[in-house]
Amino acid sequence: MKKQILGLALVALSFSSLASVDVDALVKEAEKVAYYAGDDGRSDARMMIVDSQGRKQLRQFTILRRDSQDNGDQQMMVFFSRPADVKDFVFRVEKHTALDVDDDRWMYAPGLDLVNRISAGDKRTSFVGSHFFYEDVSGRAISEDDFTLAEETDTSYVLKAVPKVPDSVEFEYYMVTIDKETKLPVLIDFYNKGDTNYRRVEAVKIETIEGFPTVVRSKVSDLANDAYTLMEFRNIKYNVGLEDDVFSERSLRNPPRKWLD
Amino acid sequence: MGKLRKLSVLALCLGLSSTMAFSQDDDWDMGDWGEEEEAKAYQITGFIEGALGTRLSSDPVIDSEGTLRDLRAQIQVDYDLAASRLQFSADAYYDGVLQQSKLQVREAFWQGNLDSVGDWGKNFDVKIGQQILTWGTGDYIFLNDMFPKDYQSFFSGRDDEYLKAPSLSAKISGFFDWANVDFVVTPKFTPDNYINGDYFSFFSPMAGQNIAPGFDVKSPLKPDSPEYAIRIYKSVGPTEYAAYFYDGFHKSPNSATPLGEPTFSELQVVGASMITTLGPGLFNAEFALYDSKEDSEGTNPLIPNSQQRWLIGYKQELAKNFTGSVQWYLERNDDYDALIANSPAPQFEIGRSRIWITQRLMYRALQQTLTLSGFNFFSTTDQDGYFKFSADYSPTDDWRLSGGFNIFYGDEPFTFFNQFEDASNVFVRYRYFY
Repeated sequence: MKKQILGLALVALSFSSLASVDVDALVKEAEKVAYYAGDDGRSDARMMIVDSQGRKQLRQFTILRRDSQDNGDQQMMVFFSRPADVKDFVFRVEKHTALDVDDDRWMYAPGLDLVNRISAGDKRTSFVGSHFFYEDVSGRAISEDDFTLAEETDTSYVLKAVPKVPDSVEFEYYMVTIDKETKLPVLIDFYNKGDTNYRRVEAVKIETIEGFPTVVRSKVSDLANDAYTLMEFRNIKYNVGLEDDVFSERSLRNPPRKWLD
Repeated sequence: MGKLRKLSVLALCLGLSSTMAFSQDDDWDMGDWGEEEEAKAYQITGFIEGALGTRLSSDPVIDSEGTLRDLRAQIQVDYDLAASRLQFSADAYYDGVLQQSKLQVREAFWQGNLDSVGDWGKNFDVKIGQQILTWGTGDYIFLNDMFPKDYQSFFSGRDDEYLKAPSLSAKISGFFDWANVDFVVTPKFTPDNYINGDYFSFFSPMAGQNIAPGFDVKSPLKPDSPEYAIRIYKSVGPTEYAAYFYDGFHKSPNSATPLGEPTFSELQVVGASMITTLGPGLFNAEFALYDSKEDSEGTNPLIPNSQQRWLIGYKQELAKNFTGSVQWYLERNDDYDALIANSPAPQFEIGRSRIWITQRLMYRALQQTLTLSGFNFFSTTDQDGYFKFSADYSPTDDWRLSGGFNIFYGDEPFTFFNQFEDASNVFVRYRYFY
């Protein structure tokens, strides 16, 4: 799950002149490592949102994730526990990787006992008020961008990603650094038209958990406004055996405590 | 002395510099994770809130200009058991409009599954006690959701969560391959918190004008019998289907005894709904057949006609952080000719059908700390409507400031929304979470 955080999308098209690196395979591997560790997973998470005036907000939640298949569709539940005004809200996503199928999303509001189906939205909008986008959490489909190898060092590959549909996103391109050893994306810098780096997503701390290299601390920075969000994960477990029926309206209204504690 | 001072200044400087050096790390110290609270198994949260609302024009039959004068404290206590939960939440508040102190227990329930009873039990969840219940696909329009609503709170600008009132009920949910089933029994009929003249006046066909009696229907005119509600639902791909059944009473006292006293008559409802993706948005449709059992021929002017109710809706994101929705809603009286033929005041009766068209626009700004929402009901048949606007601002976890207005408008003094023209109000609320 943790891995989810730093996701990137990558698909390689081009043949790099730098080396005989198979960019296509590299991007696919990075997506898998970042978002599809194990067949399922659970993690506690919290975010600290810091605005340009230094004001802080906290969000604490538990994430459950289940993969239909690697690099394919996923199911996700997010159970909020803090702060008081979002406590017991539950967010459910059925992620569809096919480009012409939107994700299905629901939000449960406990005060009204209301399950609200949410219409498909721009995925590059804030995830619960943080500087992370929905897409940073659930993963940007690697088929949405064209990747080329820009640089190779002893420890990493640096890829340049250009969106296939430029009007659909706010960036002109992004540069993603993939660690050679873990294949995890560890740094993503987004650039706008003026080649200004205005947004950064970075893996701050990586641990190997049950054999899976996992980002346990990540940070996203709004470089233009000097604001940022920190995200930290704890109690990460993979392959816990989450069943399909955990990801349902039943869990929105009656959270499965077995997986939350 | 002087040396000491120098030393301490030096220490301060060192302290400062080391703080700066480690500020990046300190950022990660977001405080505790609440794990010690988990060890305690229970958790206490809540808020205090002040709310003020005032009428935009005076109401000839109500003295007070105030429509909202709340000083409120809510406490919520959760107690987690091994595989289930006890939850209690209550609002204690002083209502400055009525000049009364009130206590509302919104939740006091046990929720869990029947796993421990036997292997068959893992397919069943149970929620028993005082609880809020909601289902159906409408936005601010309820066809098959016959659980109690609080229209006094809704009209006065209290938070949306107060639109739903609690009931003392048992909800049993079964989850099967063929479909899921909710069965809700409310042993004692729980009506809406209807408009009764306490805060807002309403039109009386008998008086031919607005009245504000502040009435409260009591036993024996308020039934003690149980209510039953059933929902059967299933998802097929991106489409969710549901069928509904209700047996109980009209939720507002819109029936009358031969002496003219307001009461609740028997009602049975069957209906169905679906919601699915359509283009870039979501489409929903719902219908409900209201069988007003004590007036099956529609000839009794003291009891509402049986009705069909239909709803279709569509919502989509129009731009980043900006969503819009529209709904079309129809109420059609089954025995309208009989209704008019027997009505003592046919000039105040509505048409055979009532149609509402609603629009909602919602915009989130300032990193989602500001939410603006406008919702408009407009009736093409009654030529009246209701516009509700609210703004919520919460740049920190500790507090939220809200403000908005409720405007009722129309041509005739007796139509559904326009009878509340003098209830139009502006409000502001400040909530502090602890």
